[in-house]
Amino acid sequence: MNLNVMLSLLVNGTAMGMVYALMAMGIILLVRAIGVLNFAQGDFLMLGAYVALGLLVDLKLPLPIMIPVALLAYAMIGLIFMFCIYWPLRNAKYPAAIVIATIGTSIMIKELVTIIWGSLPRPMPPLLENEETGGGLLLEISGVKLQWQMLITMMVGIAAIILVFVLFEKLYAGRMMEAAAQDKYSAELLGIPTILTVAATYVISISLASVGGFMMAPLLTVNVTLGTLQLRAFAGVIIGGMGNIKGAIIGSIFVGLLESFASVWVGAYKDAVVFIVLLLFLIFRPQGLFGMKIKDKA
Amino acid sequence: MENTKAKVKISTILLFALCIAAVLFLPGQTNDYSMRVVNNALIFAIVSYGLSIMLGMGGQLTFGGLAFMGGGAFTAANLCSGRLGFWLDPVLAILISALLMGVMAFGLGLILLKLKDTYFTFSTIALVQVAYTFFVNYKPLFGGAGGISNIAEMKIFGVGFGNNYNLWFYFLVVVLAIVAFVVERIRQTQLGRSLASIRDNDTAALTLGVNVYRTKVLAFAIAGIFAGLAGACYALQMRFIGADMFTYERSTLFIIMAMVGGVNNSFGIIIGSLVITVLPEVLRGVPGIDRYLQLSYGLLVIVLMVFMPMGLAGMASALSKRFKAFISKKANAPVAEKEVGVHE
Repeated sequence: MNLNVMLSLLVNGTAMGMVYALMAMGIILLVRAIGVLNFAQGDFLMLGAYVALGLLVDLKLPLPIMIPVALLAYAMIGLIFMFCIYWPLRNAKYPAAIVIATIGTSIMIKELVTIIWGSLPRPMPPLLENEETGGGLLLEISGVKLQWQMLITMMVGIAAIILVFVLFEKLYAGRMMEAAAQDKYSAELLGIPTILTVAATYVISISLASVGGFMMAPLLTVNVTLGTLQLRAFAGVIIGGMGNIKGAIIGSIFVGLLESFASVWVGAYKDAVVFIVLLLFLIFRPQGLFGMKIKDKA
Repeated sequence: MENTKAKVKISTILLFALCIAAVLFLPGQTNDYSMRVVNNALIFAIVSYGLSIMLGMGGQLTFGGLAFMGGGAFTAANLCSGRLGFWLDPVLAILISALLMGVMAFGLGLILLKLKDTYFTFSTIALVQVAYTFFVNYKPLFGGAGGISNIAEMKIFGVGFGNNYNLWFYFLVVVLAIVAFVVERIRQTQLGRSLASIRDNDTAALTLGVNVYRTKVLAFAIAGIFAGLAGACYALQMRFIGADMFTYERSTLFIIMAMVGGVNNSFGIIIGSLVITVLPEVLRGVPGIDRYLQLSYGLLVIVLMVFMPMGLAGMASALSKRFKAFISKKANAPVAEKEVGVHE
């Protein structure tokens, strides 16, 4: 394997890992705050990609307008999800019920998207286009060609990670959310409006996944099967250590890199490699790379 | 108390009568295609019974049934298609597949059930993914993307089934009845009670002397046997088996079937499988509905989880309890209303 291939695999894997990390962060936030394991996270990624496609290609909005509109739409989707699924089920006696409800949501999103946009996969133009060829703009560093879209994905991923960390480590709002996540009852006694923190958690979680979808839409075609990527995010969450955002990010990037390199080593078996590694982690180190801060609630 | 017991028995007898009527009259009414759809529903119900044991009795959410169903299907396909250089008797092949999957589930359960709730669920998802990847890619055993065709026809005591799906229907009804009977037996034996105690509170179960780990492994192995059995029947009925049957999306289907019908109710499982498998086929031709069918079916799952987490069967039993309370209120002194338990 020469250096050239190695570098492009590295960038490819990290970019995909960033997308998984965006999803994984959302999963962790929901598990920590509400104890909901969201099996529709990947479908929100898919929906995010479709919303971006609709705004950018179907409505032909220019980027500076399109980005805030898309973010607003993602936040709205998060709120709708919260009020339709979490709210009626928050006192459910049967813990599996809410998980099944998210599986139902996953089916619904897939079908809604098919009804609105059709079932054919659709290409999405990259954010930076090469005006001569019409393809994605390439960055050339001493003979190694890298896609700008991947670099942008990595940058957006890093920016989102920094924002989440600033929120939870530095801001009062983040501390409120953290407190409500750890002990809802005492948080309410302290006067923290837990409904707002729950809503904020949902908005952040769904937006993160959707932004991931927006970023990766030009790299893959936009289609309904994008939802299955959530399994990679699950793998990242477990490998990193459940209940730990830092672990989830590193675990997801590890999964992205593993997948990227495995596609060269074993070809079609790359999925098996990722999930065998996941099984090995579950068997030999179920607490993941970074252990866990808070007890598993899901 | 005696009174309610008798009533339950009457409703059970009624359901049985309904089933027997369906068994007697259904095969004459429909064409081959519809019959095959119904048969598939019965096969899926067998897999869902495994989930009924794991999730309904034991409270362990597993996606793994499909992996074992695939294992059973490909085992039977290999034994009955001459790929290994011999043709085995189909019935023997079904038994071997079920047993093999039981052993595999037992072995994997020994490893995976060391994990607790969510981690175990994730491990079964990983299992499904790994199995699917191998089914698609590993040609020598699973035929690769083309699958395995030329599976021999089903034969019992020299009677060939050929493409007679009515015969298959009777066969599957018998198999399903045996499986349902086994599940009902398990519910009333030590294993079932241990599982229920684990579901309700595993720490308490442990302190009461229940061997939590062993009980879960046994339940997983039984679920594996059911899945293997169903897979073998599926392969032999279709006489072709391909990997695209065994994707992760499919595995969520079994969970939905079990939950829609009622995960803790043996009739509910059959009803759930029939609703989820047959209803889309029935409504497919109706213009205007078929487009929104899948959508409404996702909606149905959510609404059921919100209002009736015990599925259609749970809804029926809650309604009948209310009805009984209403009747007895009218008849004599008010009876203390029993709360409708979530797990019953």
